Amino acid sequence: MRGVLKTGVLMGGVVLRGVLLMIAAAPTAHAHIASNGFLVANVAGSDITGSMELAVRDVELAVGADADRDGKITWGELRAAAPRLARYLAEHVSFAAQDDACSLAFQGIEVNDRADGGYAWMPFKARCPAAVRRLAVRYTVMDGIDPSHRGLLTLSAAGVVQTGVLGGAASQDAFSVFAPSRWRAFAEYFRAGVWHILSGIDHLLFLLSLLLPAVLLRKDSRWEPVAAVRPALIGIFKVVTAFTLAHSLTLTLAALDIVRLPSRLTESVIAASIIVAALNNIFPLVTESRARIAFSFGLLHGFGFASVLADMGLPQGARLISLLAFNAGIESGQLAVVVAVMPIIYGLRSGSFYRRTVMPWGSAAIAALALVWLVQRAILATG
Amino acid sequence: MLAELPAGARHSSDPSRELAATRLDVALPLAQFDISRARTTGDLRFLGYAEAILAPWMHRTTVAPQVLILNATILQSRHAFDAALAELDQALEARPDDAQGWLTRATVLRVLGRYDEAMASCEHLARTADPAITSLCRQSLRGLTGHLKDAYAVIASLSPQDLVPEVRAWRYSELGEMAERLGNDPAAELWFRDGLHMAPADLYMRLACADLLLRHGRAVETLQLLQGYESMEPMLLRVAIAHRQLHDAASTQAEALLTNAFEVEQRRGDAVHRREQARFLLDVDQAPTAALAAALENWRVQREPDDILILLRAAHAAHQLQAAADALEFLKRSGLEDVRLDAYRSAT
Repeated sequence: MRGVLKTGVLMGGVVLRGVLLMIAAAPTAHAHIASNGFLVANVAGSDITGSMELAVRDVELAVGADADRDGKITWGELRAAAPRLARYLAEHVSFAAQDDACSLAFQGIEVNDRADGGYAWMPFKARCPAAVRRLAVRYTVMDGIDPSHRGLLTLSAAGVVQTGVLGGAASQDAFSVFAPSRWRAFAEYFRAGVWHILSGIDHLLFLLSLLLPAVLLRKDSRWEPVAAVRPALIGIFKVVTAFTLAHSLTLTLAALDIVRLPSRLTESVIAASIIVAALNNIFPLVTESRARIAFSFGLLHGFGFASVLADMGLPQGARLISLLAFNAGIESGQLAVVVAVMPIIYGLRSGSFYRRTVMPWGSAAIAALALVWLVQRAILATG
Repeated sequence: MLAELPAGARHSSDPSRELAATRLDVALPLAQFDISRARTTGDLRFLGYAEAILAPWMHRTTVAPQVLILNATILQSRHAFDAALAELDQALEARPDDAQGWLTRATVLRVLGRYDEAMASCEHLARTADPAITSLCRQSLRGLTGHLKDAYAVIASLSPQDLVPEVRAWRYSELGEMAERLGNDPAAELWFRDGLHMAPADLYMRLACADLLLRHGRAVETLQLLQGYESMEPMLLRVAIAHRQLHDAASTQAEALLTNAFEVEQRRGDAVHRREQARFLLDVDQAPTAALAAALENWRVQREPDDILILLRAAHAAHQLQAAADALEFLKRSGLEDVRLDAYRSAT
């Protein structure tokens, strides 16, 4: 009876405060984002590497971090709590490949700032009994503490990124990590390569500057049209091949992290290379071996391509195939442009319009545009 | 320092959590406390903590009505209105005299635009609750169903001295909103300002006041009003709109934070801030078609005057007023008076 009475009294209090709640209802007055954990997993064969991010406030509720109980969590306190947190996470996150459990260990801790506050970032390594084809993920972080907590999973395998939401009633989910996704990775990176060359007007203008004079011959300080298709084709072939070899070489070196150049430098030099190639058409210095220009500057364009690839990231386990696909995409796009341009300039080469207007003024326009880029990239660019 | 624990957050070693699993007289006030923390700080995590405290009691074969009512409050705060109604009905069957239950039920039904049923809940309230609460419950509904002027006068005649602070704050925000709907913005601002003076932690009233100021292009005052509240998404939205009105570069940071927050909510499948998202798309992103889609999505879930307003504004901006035909029909049927909506009403 006493218990009932007591509850009754408490609920009396609730009614009054409840009015408060009631008014909160109509409105949408809450905010802050709800509690989220960010789980990133990269699958490569039977290995999984990745990280887990949990808000520092949630770390306190899960394992306790505020040692001096002053309501503030310092870096020292978080570091001291790291072993406890590593154990907690290893108990509340688990992976299985084809239903066989993977071993999982968290090690190390860093802090990441997100829009809603500080997060503890912990990398992990997991090893599965066999190569992963079907990955089951179980996630019970904050279970019993905050049922509205969700684990936002980003899973990448063989170049395919999948996302999932775990927690609450759905603490488990499974993801297929198929071999065919290699083909999807190939297709995706091939498309990216084609797209980049076709939309990357700076690379195309460089190539065009080298192609314009390929249907002409320099004789006695004057441009003459080549007599037949064959020498024109040979000239174009040399230039395109040199450019391709050079940029493929540096693209590969940069993508595999063997050589690195600051992107502001490469972007600026790419702009400069266009100016040089275009001016060479107006005031010819190099007439016979444009392939050398194509090769030496091509090296820099390769670094430019690599920075695009760096933004996309090379998927674990499919690095080489994705790199190859990206490069093949670039070459295909480039070839399409050459095939489209070649008959036009070959057809126009004999007329004076081509030699007196297209060559000098076209090249001048290209040089002017590239000069604007050079200024933007070298001087105006910050950071 | 990496993080500051908000006031009211319990330490991991706090024994109350375990105690609450075995004693209802600990669990109820603790959950109640967390829910009011969520309300006054805008921190959604507190709803999760309250849910965790109630969870062991919700899993019993017979769930205590008080537990159901608190759980329904959490669901309602997450805009899971149908689930909240189901739990309230179950609780009120066991405890037909529970004033809190009827009040929460009236509120949910009001948000859903089911005014007749909401009024019936207010009538149940009359049997047990303070007459002032009953009066507010009734008049707020009459104010939405064709008796705005009269309801406004009745609520204004309630003497604030006779009301407990929570009810007094409700009176002020209700009067402010009613004055706005009547087209008396100067009076509305006074109600809101007086109310905030008395109850500065009333986030709902602060948002309503900010919206009133923004409607008049008073961006600088809006920023002053919301200073220190930027961590809350709906507040941050008003801050971003104010910066927009001022053509101020500071808006980009607020916009980036909001975009991020909406993305995370989308990934989680949360629906708490649908109305805000529609408003963000319309007033900040200036993407009327996307805003209309979000406002229609919101309209399917909740039907307050502000939900109708954002829908009509988005439909108008996207030149698709026929997309809001359902809302216009609702306006006609309910007799809802709101001068902010009149321009769109006559346009069709």
